Amino acid sequence: MQRRALIGIALAIVLYALVPLAFAGNLYLMSMIVAALTIGGVALAWALLGNLGGLVSFGHAAFFGVGSYASALLVMKAGWPIGGSLIAGGVCAALAAVLVLPALRLRGPYFALAVLAYAHIFRIIATEWKGLTNGAGGIGNIPRFPVVFGYDFASKTGGYWIVLSLVLAFAAIYAWVRDSHAGLALRAMQHSEDATRAVGVNSQFLKALMLFLSAFMTGVMGAFNAHYINFLEPDYAFSGLWTMLPIVAAIFGGYRTITGPLIGAVVVYLLDQLVFKALMPIGHQIVLGALLGAMILFAPEGLLSLFRRRRLQQGGVPAAASRNA
Amino acid sequence: MTELVLQALWSGILTGSSYALIALGLALIFGTMNVINLAHGELVLLAAYVAYTCESAFGASPLLAIPVAIVIVCVAMALTYLLVSRIRANRELNSLLLTYGIGVMLTNGMLLLWKADIRSTKSAWLQDAVVLGPFYSMRSELLFFLVSVVLIAGLWWWLTRTWAGRAVRAVASNREAAKLMGIDPHRVELVSFLVAGLLAAFAGAAIFSFGVIQPALGTSLTIKAFVITVLAGMGSVPGVLVGAVLLGITESLTTTFASSALQELAGMVLFLFVLFVLPNGLFGTRWRH
Amino acid sequence: MLELRDIRVRFGGLHALDGVSLSVAAGEIVGLVGPNGAGKTTLFDVISGTVRPHRGTLHFENADISRTSAYQRARRGIGRTFQIPQPMHTLTVAENLTVAQRFGTGQVNPNTVAEILDLVELTDRASRDAASELSLAELKALEVAKALATQPRLLLLDEVLAGLEASGKRRFTKLLADIHARYKPAILIIEHDIETISTLCPRTAVLNFGQLIADGAPDVVFSQPDVVASYTGAVHDA
Repeated sequence: MQRRALIGIALAIVLYALVPLAFAGNLYLMSMIVAALTIGGVALAWALLGNLGGLVSFGHAAFFGVGSYASALLVMKAGWPIGGSLIAGGVCAALAAVLVLPALRLRGPYFALAVLAYAHIFRIIATEWKGLTNGAGGIGNIPRFPVVFGYDFASKTGGYWIVLSLVLAFAAIYAWVRDSHAGLALRAMQHSEDATRAVGVNSQFLKALMLFLSAFMTGVMGAFNAHYINFLEPDYAFSGLWTMLPIVAAIFGGYRTITGPLIGAVVVYLLDQLVFKALMPIGHQIVLGALLGAMILFAPEGLLSLFRRRRLQQGGVPAAASRNA
Repeated sequence: MTELVLQALWSGILTGSSYALIALGLALIFGTMNVINLAHGELVLLAAYVAYTCESAFGASPLLAIPVAIVIVCVAMALTYLLVSRIRANRELNSLLLTYGIGVMLTNGMLLLWKADIRSTKSAWLQDAVVLGPFYSMRSELLFFLVSVVLIAGLWWWLTRTWAGRAVRAVASNREAAKLMGIDPHRVELVSFLVAGLLAAFAGAAIFSFGVIQPALGTSLTIKAFVITVLAGMGSVPGVLVGAVLLGITESLTTTFASSALQELAGMVLFLFVLFVLPNGLFGTRWRH
Repeated sequence: MLELRDIRVRFGGLHALDGVSLSVAAGEIVGLVGPNGAGKTTLFDVISGTVRPHRGTLHFENADISRTSAYQRARRGIGRTFQIPQPMHTLTVAENLTVAQRFGTGQVNPNTVAEILDLVELTDRASRDAASELSLAELKALEVAKALATQPRLLLLDEVLAGLEASGKRRFTKLLADIHARYKPAILIIEHDIETISTLCPRTAVLNFGQLIADGAPDVVFSQPDVVASYTGAVHDA
């Protein structure tokens, strides 16, 4: 227990203090890291829905966009404070998820497609409802993060601290749910839904809860992004990239773990921006698509887990007995 | 006012017929392999771009591009099948991710090759209006409507009267029993991909001939095909036809009475309505829950 | 405490249950027998809520539960086992019971879980993966244990003895008697083993082709000609 606490403190120091110190001079890199963590947050939310809810979504961009617009509009048109608007953005995304509930009845692949359709719907609404969202013109000059205790959180480092804290909070929530009785029931539900119902588990309700939680987290990430970038337009906020990158990140890092999607996000995003984009400015997503395809065929549990499994085999502990990281 | 509605109905039927080709292909693959090809719309779009290239690079009519499109799309479908069949575990989920990745690759490939500009046919002959009684339509719409009818009839004939088609239906309804009858499900799966490719090629040429295309359209088409399947209800082929026409009509009514920008949204609203109110679709068999 | 009236279930053209009426009093042990396909498991499905009947009413402890969903019935005190054991995947034996207890009763009591594990003799398998590391007898024991963890007042046991050899059957029969003595649930038990039914159940009901053809003390019921005929396959006069 003590060792865990020490590792936690060390990690916190590295993440909160050393990283900014090391990279604060390089604004470009810092903004990459912030973007990577934003993707990481969505990847985490996506993996949570997949692991605990047993639902694969191809439309998380919908929740991201709803969160972005909700937060921006609440601050700009209703005078909300930015912190509260982040939460509200998440709540609005969760409300949007209510519309997705009937799709839960559909079998797995159909649910995935249904959410894709929802992402489409929201993008069109954002483009056409000009009165609310200013349509394709977008919203500019979205208020930045405020100065708190004399520190300007609108800076790159400030944004980094905020998104880092959000992501760590979400990871903690994910762990807490996963280790709870509900988490046990959720994991069992995926293979044995009848058995869990027979002992009193309201499986529909728990699945819906995971959907709301995943949507909420994604919405908060979207809201953060809106105030960090200070600009929104429908094609950006609801862009397929906010679905694609988290999926590739989660699969890459191993979607069955909590740290996997986060590490995957950092690696994949930095790879994409620094390497793929440099080679192929337009259409660099082809490499991402190819990467996803290759991973599904050769390492569906993620590249990191391949590495982990090899280490475990060398240690002689059967892979099945290892707890999720 | 009635004329407007009737005209919209007529246009809807015409465009719906091409949508039906896309949805039928998707349903065929899902029926035999239990796999949803998320790249389906992109493959239809590929055919459309082949038609565009034929027209812009060689000055040929998009119609002449169809054989080329068939070959290219069928090869792409075969490759997709090969990759999907390689998935070892958890095929339902992993095939979604794999075909999603393929779809992204195709969309961006098309973006690279043909740029983001919106394209449509320049053929005056195809765009000419044809008047049938009180109804106007583009020659291309009418032409491809007839083509679709022939294809769908052909598909029906193939599924019910030929051994290959019967094998497909056998695998779709009971894979294990089909295996016991000596049917090779892998061959059947490949065949369903190829037939879907054939239908997709025609649909792509159709969309280029009477609509507009751009790389982002691929996802829209996949979604439209999916909406049609939900409208139809599980496992219903006549339902797919009705659903496709219904979607087409919804879109054209929206364009007539609201704006063309909202037509996609209208289709989505239709989808939501069915999801909330008629979860089994129009023709689907009841599920036990 | 359980009252079924005129239950009819149709699957397409097949009448799985054709007007079944049955009452079970609190604490009663009732055997349910009948040839394969008679509708016994379907009857359990109706009681536990997995299948909705087309007609008929279902009352449990004086409340109409026809519209109550399966998970709510489990919380109200109807526990069941499945003919083919369905352990909760990815969980250990102990976790299976904890989840069942947590959601079936709303609370967690590790002592009760330990007690149940001890009763079904699974204490030393508690940390094993339920779905992959148990033998058939252990899986069946887990089925019963899971149902027990929800504190059922009505326990539906679906062929828990099937597939066990003689000594296993004897142990299980004793287990069921112990469960009844300690927790006093009403038990409805589907079995093919007539000897076990006669020993365990003071009352037996016989189902054939979706209809209840006999209901009474085992020795009386099993000597009825139509019951014998249903098992031997003699032509049954409608």
